[in-house]
Amino acid sequence: MNFLTDYIYYIGACGLILIGLYILLTKHNLIKIIIGISIIDTGVNLLIISIGYKNDGTAPIFSRPGLIAENMVDPTVQALVLTAIVIGVAVLAMALTLAIRLYQHYGTLDMRKIKEQRW
Amino acid sequence: MVNPILLIAVPLAFAFSIPLFGLISKRAGRFIPPVAMLFNLVLSIILIPDVLESPVSVFLSGFPPPFGINLYVGPLGILFSAVIALVGFLVSIYALDYIKEGAEEKYHMLYLALLTGATGVVLTGDIFNLFVFFEILCISSYGLVGYLGNKAGVESAVKYLIQGSVGSAFNLIGIALIYGQFGTLNMADIAANINSVSPNQLFIPLVLFIVGFGIEGAIFPLNAWLPDAHSSAPSTISAVLSGIAIETGVYAIARVTFTIFGASDILLFLVLLGLLTLLAGELSAFSQNNIKRMLAYSSIGQMGLILFALGIGTDYGIAGGLFQFINHALSKALIFLATGYMIYRMGSMEISSLEGIGKKMPVSSLCFTVGAFSLIGLPPFAGFPSKFMIVLSALEKHSNLFIVFIGIVFLGTVIEATYFFKVIQVLYFKGAPAGVPAEKKTEISPAQETIKDRGVITGAPIAALIPMIILALLIILIGVYPKAVDEILNASSIELLDRVKYIQGVLR
Repeated sequence: MNFLTDYIYYIGACGLILIGLYILLTKHNLIKIIIGISIIDTGVNLLIISIGYKNDGTAPIFSRPGLIAENMVDPTVQALVLTAIVIGVAVLAMALTLAIRLYQHYGTLDMRKIKEQRW
Repeated sequence: MVNPILLIAVPLAFAFSIPLFGLISKRAGRFIPPVAMLFNLVLSIILIPDVLESPVSVFLSGFPPPFGINLYVGPLGILFSAVIALVGFLVSIYALDYIKEGAEEKYHMLYLALLTGATGVVLTGDIFNLFVFFEILCISSYGLVGYLGNKAGVESAVKYLIQGSVGSAFNLIGIALIYGQFGTLNMADIAANINSVSPNQLFIPLVLFIVGFGIEGAIFPLNAWLPDAHSSAPSTISAVLSGIAIETGVYAIARVTFTIFGASDILLFLVLLGLLTLLAGELSAFSQNNIKRMLAYSSIGQMGLILFALGIGTDYGIAGGLFQFINHALSKALIFLATGYMIYRMGSMEISSLEGIGKKMPVSSLCFTVGAFSLIGLPPFAGFPSKFMIVLSALEKHSNLFIVFIGIVFLGTVIEATYFFKVIQVLYFKGAPAGVPAEKKTEISPAQETIKDRGVITGAPIAALIPMIILALLIILIGVYPKAVDEILNASSIELLDRVKYIQGVLR
């Protein structure tokens, strides 16, 4: 049980990344693939956050007396995740735009049927 | 001394001001990228002497590294930023006349954002910042690949986006693992502490970085997106993607492997990966009928050669690899620009449809020939000294293994020469012999019909010819007088190998 409580966030993050990769590798619908990319992004963000997390930690602000710096969570990773989320949203928006365009051209989102460009 | 941060800030500001200029005049937007890139070029050239004397490290908002984000402008960074600015400037002049349809403003905006991202990647000294600039580069190139909005473009953009975003997710996982172990994101700080953890813990981040940047750099098993994307984008974008974007990916691999990890153990792996990429790219290029697809595969082959040179790991070998970087950026941009108007005039990308165009578009064909000869490595052009350096440094390893590798590199070169000469032969020597009236030509080959439909084939317009001629002259100049870039190449290769100097330069 100790292992689970200590590493639950890492396990969750790795699980999300693997689920995302599985979706990318096995699904053929473009929307599902985009969802897979989004899940990978979420997993990576959770991984980064959990690296800086402390059990029973406080926010990294000296808001009241008596707070000790050692008990604070790492603020750097949260800044990183903010940036990563924004980038993820940009990629997601781009992907959905392209998906709409692709549907207009082909009338389908099945990637098996969209193979004009190859070798 | 000028602050190198302007190299990133000015093009970025210009990029987002293009829609504002569009309010004043519809045509104003297209003149912004040349202005911004000319500024970058001049600034880079001004900075070169200072940087060669001692590398410049600037930090933002008053926090010295390792706490704040810093830019490290060493010889390598300034060399790349100058090449990016040069190619970007010339291609944007070409685009003045070439880009006429579609959302023009958005094209120019994304174009500048792409170049800003590339400049940021080569100058930054912070690994997360590198990731952010890489994403700027990637997202703009997804948009630019699908810019024409046609079937092929959108499909390639989707494929590129899926693979690219997996790559960047891998990069981010690598960064997370590195931060978890070292508690810092500054490259110099990580490099200084790299020996404090066991090599096994570093292996996974390194692999993740090589995979992540390898997707952008089109290293062999990860190159599936490249031929589609490069062949369906407009020719100006193909030039920038081939000349700059994928080279930035290989740069990032070199920076991570040499500077951060100091991983001399995996150099042989890089060599093998490079050779595989070289062979796969050249062999696939050989069997193409579509000229842009052929050039795209040829880019993959060239990236393999560069990776091979970097993997040799001696300062002379790395200098040769960096020389090949310059050569490839100039030559491949030139070739794509030259083919741009050929394809536009003939209305087809098939190599066979370019028959006899050498007489109708003499300057474009000549430029294509110069670029192709330079990529093959024929003597008076820039490709000769670079390939010579690579082969010589591989010989200096004095191992039988590397003699076999040199044989493979020569095999790749021969294949490369074969398909380029095939195209040059089609350009100049195929088609109806001179003197036969135009009416008879149409009977001989059906491909000529398109010519007749479109009226007389004229050469490329003057705005397209000037950048091509400048690129061709630069290639010949560097080929005749390679000492011009000798000093900065040696300094750059030392920057990659001498980690202590890099660390001291940043952390002081």
